[in-house]
Amino acid sequence: MELSAQLAAKFEKLQTSYPVKRSALIPMLMYAQDEFGVISDEMVTEIARRLNLHEVQVEETLAYYSMLHRKPWGKNHVQVCTNVACMLRGGNELLDRAKKRLNIGNKEVTSDGIFSLEEVECIGACTGAPAMQVNYDFYENLTPLRFDRIIETLDAGRKPDHEPVTSGALHPRSPLEIPVISKRWGIPNSRKIDTYIQNEGYQALEKALKEMAPEQIIEDVKKSGLRGRGGAGFPTGMKWSFVPKDSPKPKYLICNADESEPGSCKDRPLMELDPHQLIEGMVIAGRAFGAHEGFIYIRGEYRYVLDIMDIALAEAYERGYLGKNILGTGFDFDLITHTGAGAYECGEESALMESLEGKRGNPRIKPPFPAVVGLYGCPTVINNAETLSSVPAIIRMGGEAYAALGTSKNGGTRMLCVSGHVVKPGIYEVPLGLNMKKFIYEVVGGIPGGKKLKAVIPGGSSCPFLTADEIDIPMDFDSLAKAGSMLGSGGMVVMDEDTCMVDMARRVMHFYAHESCGWCIPCREGTSWLMKMLDRFHAGYGTAADITNVLELSKNMLGRTFCALGDAAAMPTISIVEKWRNEFEDHLQGRCAYKNVDALLGAR
Amino acid sequence: MADQKTEQKLVTLKINGADTQVPAGTLVIEATRRIGTEVPSFCYYPGLSLQAACRMCLIEVEKMPKLQTACTLVATEGMVVKTDSEQVRNARKYMLEFLLTNHPLDCPVCDKGGECELQDMVFRYGADTSRFVEEKIHRPEEKWSDLVYYDAPRCILCFRCVRVCDEGMDVKALGVGMRGAHSIIIPNREDHLECEECGMCIDICPVGALTSGTYRYKTRPWEMQYHSTICTHCSNGCKTTLSVRNHEIMRANNRDMSGINKDFLCVKGRFGFDFTQHPERVRQPLVRKGDKLYPVSWEEAAQTAAAKLKAVVDAGNKDAFGFIGSNRTSNEENYLFQRMARATFGTNNIDHHRTADFTGLVTTLGDRAGDAMLTMEQLYQSKAVLLVGNDPTNQNPLVAWQIRSGIRHFASKLFVINSAEIKLERKATQYIKVAPGQEAAALRWMAHEEGQLGHELVEQLVALKAALEQESEVAIVFGAEISGAAIALLTAFGSKLPGQVRYMALADYANSRGAADMGVLPDRLPGYAYVDNAGAREAFEKLWGGVIPSQAGMTAPQMVEAAQSGKLKALYVMGANPLAHFGTLGFGRGKLDLLIVHEMFLTETANQADIVFAAASAYEKDGTVTNTSGEIQLLHKAAEIMGPRTDFDLLRILSHQLEKLGLGKAFHYKTPSAVFEEIRKAVPSYNVQAAGLLTGGAEPTRVQFSRNGHGAYDVPAGLIRSAQDTLFTSGTLGRFCTMMESLPEAEAQP
Repeated sequence: MELSAQLAAKFEKLQTSYPVKRSALIPMLMYAQDEFGVISDEMVTEIARRLNLHEVQVEETLAYYSMLHRKPWGKNHVQVCTNVACMLRGGNELLDRAKKRLNIGNKEVTSDGIFSLEEVECIGACTGAPAMQVNYDFYENLTPLRFDRIIETLDAGRKPDHEPVTSGALHPRSPLEIPVISKRWGIPNSRKIDTYIQNEGYQALEKALKEMAPEQIIEDVKKSGLRGRGGAGFPTGMKWSFVPKDSPKPKYLICNADESEPGSCKDRPLMELDPHQLIEGMVIAGRAFGAHEGFIYIRGEYRYVLDIMDIALAEAYERGYLGKNILGTGFDFDLITHTGAGAYECGEESALMESLEGKRGNPRIKPPFPAVVGLYGCPTVINNAETLSSVPAIIRMGGEAYAALGTSKNGGTRMLCVSGHVVKPGIYEVPLGLNMKKFIYEVVGGIPGGKKLKAVIPGGSSCPFLTADEIDIPMDFDSLAKAGSMLGSGGMVVMDEDTCMVDMARRVMHFYAHESCGWCIPCREGTSWLMKMLDRFHAGYGTAADITNVLELSKNMLGRTFCALGDAAAMPTISIVEKWRNEFEDHLQGRCAYKNVDALLGAR
Repeated sequence: MADQKTEQKLVTLKINGADTQVPAGTLVIEATRRIGTEVPSFCYYPGLSLQAACRMCLIEVEKMPKLQTACTLVATEGMVVKTDSEQVRNARKYMLEFLLTNHPLDCPVCDKGGECELQDMVFRYGADTSRFVEEKIHRPEEKWSDLVYYDAPRCILCFRCVRVCDEGMDVKALGVGMRGAHSIIIPNREDHLECEECGMCIDICPVGALTSGTYRYKTRPWEMQYHSTICTHCSNGCKTTLSVRNHEIMRANNRDMSGINKDFLCVKGRFGFDFTQHPERVRQPLVRKGDKLYPVSWEEAAQTAAAKLKAVVDAGNKDAFGFIGSNRTSNEENYLFQRMARATFGTNNIDHHRTADFTGLVTTLGDRAGDAMLTMEQLYQSKAVLLVGNDPTNQNPLVAWQIRSGIRHFASKLFVINSAEIKLERKATQYIKVAPGQEAAALRWMAHEEGQLGHELVEQLVALKAALEQESEVAIVFGAEISGAAIALLTAFGSKLPGQVRYMALADYANSRGAADMGVLPDRLPGYAYVDNAGAREAFEKLWGGVIPSQAGMTAPQMVEAAQSGKLKALYVMGANPLAHFGTLGFGRGKLDLLIVHEMFLTETANQADIVFAAASAYEKDGTVTNTSGEIQLLHKAAEIMGPRTDFDLLRILSHQLEKLGLGKAFHYKTPSAVFEEIRKAVPSYNVQAAGLLTGGAEPTRVQFSRNGHGAYDVPAGLIRSAQDTLFTSGTLGRFCTMMESLPEAEAQP
């Protein structure tokens, strides 16, 4: 089929960028859709031909990802987030406004084809809630008025001013913060290589390549106490040391920048404001365990971030920090970016590797673990973007010094994204072990309007909710675990006293039902069932048995699903029912924390 | 293989308190099944990749915090497993509750009702009530082809269909669409399937999500009887279980995984049975009066045939008779047929349409023949396969399946020499393309490094030779391209290889091998003894009476030529269509005085006959057949239709009529198995274990052969010819398989 010269060139490049051709599938589909607005039958055939795939293999993959579509959207695809962080700050009202203003429903296109509307899951703008994306552009801290203006401008064929930087990333520093990896945020042109180099950039790489043996790098990272920032908190140095040294196969490094956990938006500013820090971290990591090729898997919604990373990669290649014989040490390392296409599940490491191989993002059976059998069946280390961004500082200051910033077994600092009912939503870098209550009230400014705090999601919507009585604890992996929750990916969502917890449970389950990959029965059927049940319950059609059922069905999922997504859906739900059962019972009596049952019935 | 297995390390694990020894590497789910403990599963399917998706096989393992999937857990020494604890029972119960939430529960009208794995599991492990009161997800049913329908709501997403189509068939016509609770199975062409139409997806489906276009809504599983017999189409000898209601075949499958093919069947084995009910089926004997065939009684037909045969005998020319046997009828029938030719009519003018040179392979291997024949199981387990000629995907689907399975399960290597680009090429370690007809030249080079071949080809052959020399066992599989003297080149090369080499000649039709084994050959007696072997002749003469000539007779093409030119006076054809295969076009029966034909349909040959005996198909008779790899299996009568009789019956009746007229001895066998008993005694390679046969197994023949002083073997060009059938054709029979004819893929075939 006829492609523009630009797209044809992009295809040619993608087809040769990966060790296995099929990996180019998702990026090709994304770029094709950018040009044509839709994936046509001819495009499926064209891409299948170019990648030597059966057409059904292309169809399978594209059907999985929510950003890819076979029917055209409007010229301006308005995507309103209503996930927890946005919901708490008016996301649903914004969606209603959008429906009225555009005069279309969810997933509909205006008759002139100018606009289409979609209610989307978390887009990683939690600290700028409520937020939306029009195509790839972010609009944050929206009000109905601002929304209307944006639509008017788009309607007039002009481009409104969109968010240049993640909201809440740049703010006056609190004395309780210790900026280590966010140190360069706010410096003009912080994403440029020259700025980076002027501010300690690539010093760690010099040190790691010239003064340290690979084992020493791993040793230093072990000493730093660095634990995975993606959610599970696995010790990073130990993960690197699992890679078999004698494997004849190539080894790969993957940066997991598929940030999709509701409440989390830290990887986005880490990449948009300091892309070279991540690149430097990855080269050092590659050196440590013997990889010569790395991939940065960036969620599809963050296209502008990917473009920033691509520019930074080109700069790094030009200056010899990437490519052959880096800094004259004989070490080779290549790095490319890879776009996702809308799938929370691809944040799970093995699903991410499937996705990177151009397949549906279904998780893999473990063992074997990625360190032994990973990408393309080769030993692979996969680390979160924040984890890898922390590596240069560790090497620069030494593992022990970095560890000393935090508490024992929880070395260093942590990026926390705080959203919901707080005075100063934003992204903060604090030492691990900081008291949560202190953090919420002293750093983030407490709850607006003098209201009481009702609940906290400590690290993204997969974590069990904490009550106001449970937050006087140090924020580190182990203390949170002791409190029955998790530090997760650092996406903290705070809820005030007027929040309806049944509604929270409902919204959380909507997310997991939407994102369940469909591979295993308990997650696929359980999340879908719970979503329907909670919808009905919240709309005022619940029964007493439903409360027990929500709890039991969640427990029936817990620990029995293929991957952790089922647990991620079950754990917050169980905590809500157990801790706020009274609110469920109130719903049976016609009372809701913020709406009466008549209003709820109307909502249905 | 057997030796390797006994050397394998054993581990002991405790399953529900009982110590169980299994080979290291065994999955716990298999270990439990070994001791008769069921751990339920949907997605686990032996031979296909592991999924751990359905979570039905969750079990408790000591020292592991969470329940584990038995389908992915490898048994280790000292492992303690509980498959029936409260926790496990609950997990199963609630897993089924989840599964039923979006399942339509339309069991009363579902084809699968009564044989549904989900029904069975809910019955055994499920809860008696459901807590689900929400709206179910619904999608309308889709027709993907005349043979395959998909009902998404019933689908439990075990992905067996997707895997068998991809991993098993290497077709990849099915995929997974959407995600989460909306996940569905999708066909490869938007809303329909373009595939090999094997129907594997239908029978592997544990529920009624994929149903068969030819069977759906026709009957209930408990209304049918099940007869396992051997597919009557190609030469591979797949077991097919016919589901029969009121003597009519309703469907075919092999869900019990018995037989050499396990659950594999191609489109012909699974759907190619409708010829039995074809309206053009000949249902009563016909006798020519003037230029037309008229239906007559069996007595009249038999008496007319006997009288006319006697008349030809009385005319005094011994070489006036020709007999053409069948590559579809049973061993017993072919044996009796050649007995009639040789003992009753004293002629060696007996042959059949030969599609592989079994005679050549046996003769060339000589006394090694017994050990050097490759069975289907050995093919599957072979570490290396050399395929010369043929297109197994189309012509020998089970052979292709065995090769693909071996590559998948044992990382076997496939080497291909072919003049065409065949589908198996994409599974091949090395594919060598030769010019049409150049196969033998390539083999000559391999055997003796002789001949003028292109530089590039020689280089490829050098690499191939080097690769095969590394292998401890090599399976050599070849098509009709290799016959006569070329087989000697093949075996000469094979015998130079250091590893163990076994051979398989690929024929067409269900009993080609049996016809050859039974001596439906002008120069060989049953068991391949030369007709000039006096000892062999005497033994058979003693058994049958009569005098067997020591001179070889005419081949099938010679007989047809002689019939058309008037040299033959009488031609007796059983289940074959030689005028179409070997005749001169438009010449008809030529100057023949008498043409007798046993047939199911009025084929080109039957149409020209004086007497047509309405014959039963293989699905309507008992007996044995031998597949292309020389494995004997039992035919079981499944269907019965009014009118036709088996060739066994027909030959028996006629032998009595002939005896009355002083021609030969009547056949006093009461059943086909009585004939088989005689064959077992008279043909040493057929003296196989009855136990194996009776339990539905395949018993390999071990040919015992002596060259008896004969020199180099060869056949005239063109004698061995492939029928060039595709997946959707099956010689004359295929024309009467309405279902297959109707498939768009059949039209698309060359």
